[in-house]
Amino acid sequence: MFKFTLSRLLQAVPVLLVVITVTFFLVRMAPGGPFSDEKAVPPEVLRALEAQYRLDLPLIQQYFSYLGDLARGDFGPSFRYPGRSVNELIEAGLPASAELGLYALLIAIVIGVLAGLIAAMRPNTAQDYIPMSTAMIGICLPSFLLGPLLVLVFGIWLEWLPVSGWGNIPGDKILPSITMGSTYAAYIARLSRGGMLEVLSQDYIRTARAKGLPERVVIVRHALRGGLIPVVAYLGPAFAGLLSGSFVVETIFQIPGLGRFFVQAAFNRDYTMIMGSVVFFALLIVVFNLISDLIAVWIDPRLRNPSRGGR
Amino acid sequence: MSTDAPHTGQLPDDAEQGTSLWADAWARLRKNRLALFGLGVIIFLCVVSLLTPWIAPYGYEQQNLALGATPPSWQHWFGTDIFGRDLLTRVMWGGRMSLMVGFVATGVALVIGVLWGTVAGYAGGRVDAVMMRLVDILYALPFMIFIILLMVVFGRNIILLFLAIGAVEWLTMARIVRGQVQSLRRQEFIEAAHSLGLSRWRIIRKHLIPNSLGPVIVYTTLTIPSVMLLEAFLSFLGLGVQPPESSWGLLINNGVETMEEYPWLLIFPGLALAITLFSLNFLGDGLRDALDPRSSKD
Repeated sequence: MFKFTLSRLLQAVPVLLVVITVTFFLVRMAPGGPFSDEKAVPPEVLRALEAQYRLDLPLIQQYFSYLGDLARGDFGPSFRYPGRSVNELIEAGLPASAELGLYALLIAIVIGVLAGLIAAMRPNTAQDYIPMSTAMIGICLPSFLLGPLLVLVFGIWLEWLPVSGWGNIPGDKILPSITMGSTYAAYIARLSRGGMLEVLSQDYIRTARAKGLPERVVIVRHALRGGLIPVVAYLGPAFAGLLSGSFVVETIFQIPGLGRFFVQAAFNRDYTMIMGSVVFFALLIVVFNLISDLIAVWIDPRLRNPSRGGR
Repeated sequence: MSTDAPHTGQLPDDAEQGTSLWADAWARLRKNRLALFGLGVIIFLCVVSLLTPWIAPYGYEQQNLALGATPPSWQHWFGTDIFGRDLLTRVMWGGRMSLMVGFVATGVALVIGVLWGTVAGYAGGRVDAVMMRLVDILYALPFMIFIILLMVVFGRNIILLFLAIGAVEWLTMARIVRGQVQSLRRQEFIEAAHSLGLSRWRIIRKHLIPNSLGPVIVYTTLTIPSVMLLEAFLSFLGLGVQPPESSWGLLINNGVETMEEYPWLLIFPGLALAITLFSLNFLGDGLRDALDPRSSKD
């Protein structure tokens, strides 16, 4: 297990390096810099600014000094928010994004797994079609459409829930969490249905049934474990995505999270902030992929193949 | 891309097998009502989009400021926007753009992915390892961020939008095709083609690509809706299609701004997008069951 973890972490290093390199040079290739659209900055001020942020050095040198900073966990100063470092900005945005992501994930797992289970128990009947068609609607209603629609119905017409905000009015976390969780719930429903169908047709399930175990025990104790492996594999990247915030949901509901920072950074050409977001997100993906792999190995003993390290 | 069926006469067996596969698939697809419904909707939308310049009830830019925003009525089925422009007309024009982005960007992904996957799977060995490692690395890039970056950095034009989306979506296609080709290349009819002295390129084009078409068609149908979603999302951010051009994402974005006063400006474009995605996904699922009966749903 330890060896597996270590080798996966080592594999992640070149991937992260490529991500960093591609983003770094892509951002720098862009016409115009972070200070270029400022109203007529005097040339000496511009030069001082560029010196302060090391923009006057050759690109390669900037690249290596940036890598050096990163290795020490320093994302550098923000270009757009003077006096604040990218680390501080990420710290400021992370709590709201993480909280939202957590609620969305809970909604997604509970609803998704339940719907998938219900559908898989009686395949190709109404009990299958209804939850799966609903899941399809969830996939086809993107958050930038579902969010406003929910606000329109529950916030404006029915006036049951607040239309925006985060942690100010009771209930203002409900609509954003549902908006963000629904697409994931839909995917999880499809994955868990597929996984359960696969498992339910296997011999050990037949054995369990032949033993005369009640259906509930067969499903919960025996089938669920194997049937949810695809879901676990999906949860890793999904959780990374949820945690780093969704720009759309955070904008619609005016939540001060990470997603908004990133898009603002991209529009502002805030080099270090863009880089910081990309690296942070890539790190999250690597870490959560690893965690979901480890959980999969823990659930499914067949994956513990010592000869090939498992996958 | 040439996808003509392998009826060169060299391998009659192959051609026969092909027809029966397609007939079989069609028979299975015909039983799937949802998939047929999806197919019908897609055909309808394509026809409407093609004919939009002639059948749209009003001019695309035709304003009627005195009228302003009105709810749906007999004159304006979907209502009008704040400039008094007919919403049905705008949804039709927007659909043209959305569908075009969906098809063209998927086409880009298709060409790159199929070529990449075929070459990697056929070459095998070190070439394969390098090519697929590159795909793995690209998978690790945070795509949303990557595309947003591309659009911000290199300006917002349609061609780039196609390329950016296509560049993201070809990876899975490449993986699918590679797997398919790898299992094909060991089969006897490829050996036979080799011994007949066919050039590698010809084998790839005439035998490998047509024979891995089933999964490719399925995945293509499922890529189109995800591309359309991506386009709508980018347009929603203001990074995709730019006014005066229009797309469903853009219309939804405008609709959100005024949804409190004029909800129909959000609801109709949203409905159009949702129904289209719905149909494409159902068609894709149906095709998967029809063409590739071994693979279960997801």
